[in-house]
Amino acid sequence: MNSEPPKAPLGIFPSSWSEQRAGRIPGHIPIWVGILSELTEFGIFFVAYFIAKYNYPEAFSQGPQSVSTLAGVTNTLILLSSSYFIAKAMINIRLDNRVKCEAYLWLTLACGCLYLLVKTGEFYWNHQQGFRTSSSQFFTVYYYMTFNHFLHVGWAACAVLWVIFRLRRGAYSAKEHSGLEALAMYWHMIDLMWILIFPLLYVLR
Amino acid sequence: MKPFGKMEYCWWTLIGITLFNTFLGEQFSSSALVSILVALTVMFKGLMIIDHFMELRHAHRYLRLMMRAYLIFFPSLIIVTTFL
Repeated sequence: MNSEPPKAPLGIFPSSWSEQRAGRIPGHIPIWVGILSELTEFGIFFVAYFIAKYNYPEAFSQGPQSVSTLAGVTNTLILLSSSYFIAKAMINIRLDNRVKCEAYLWLTLACGCLYLLVKTGEFYWNHQQGFRTSSSQFFTVYYYMTFNHFLHVGWAACAVLWVIFRLRRGAYSAKEHSGLEALAMYWHMIDLMWILIFPLLYVLR
Repeated sequence: MKPFGKMEYCWWTLIGITLFNTFLGEQFSSSALVSILVALTVMFKGLMIIDHFMELRHAHRYLRLMMRAYLIFFPSLIIVTTFL
């Protein structure tokens, strides 16, 4: 079996999509396949939300008043900060400053863990208030969206840990850091999804 | 090193918009104006992250277009559903 990576492009996309003509692809193509798949998945959730809200306006008007806005805001601020930290990690690896890059990655990981902690507390608080997935149409959508997002933050946090390990082993430098950049893209995507989820489930009534 | 560069400006702007959105949601009952304001600020936040944190502003044209279209389309549905 030929295990050599392909040297020439596959030629399945129009030449106008090539990096030479359309611009640089941050990270690498596989992570963008993943990101676009995730965006499709969340897109389906958002469409489901709007259909459910149209059909059950009462449940979606009362729902956001029942959940903890404080937990929602806190998690939004945490994820925005984590996006800032991972962007700073990218800046520092380009300067070949691995120490600072690692420090920013640890801050990103801390934000991810904090998010998971706040979300777990929120789920527990909901449980104590008697809210279940079947409490109302709002809560069905709420749990479906937020728990799914929770899982994404969970495995992305594990990926941050892996990237820190690789950074310490000298895998990334100012010249070659596509793996780190791929993770940064994925992490920003998770943040973007929360930016959309937050107003839908916590702000709009 | 600049103590307060473009990245820091973006970070604090995003935090400010988040707090403003929450204030709108908490202080005012749901109205078309609040929904439109929230939708527009969500769009702005998304585009800021795409351009400045993801750095897609100077990257692949079609990835940038896809990401921007996504972050314009879904918040627009908030405005559309307000008038249904």
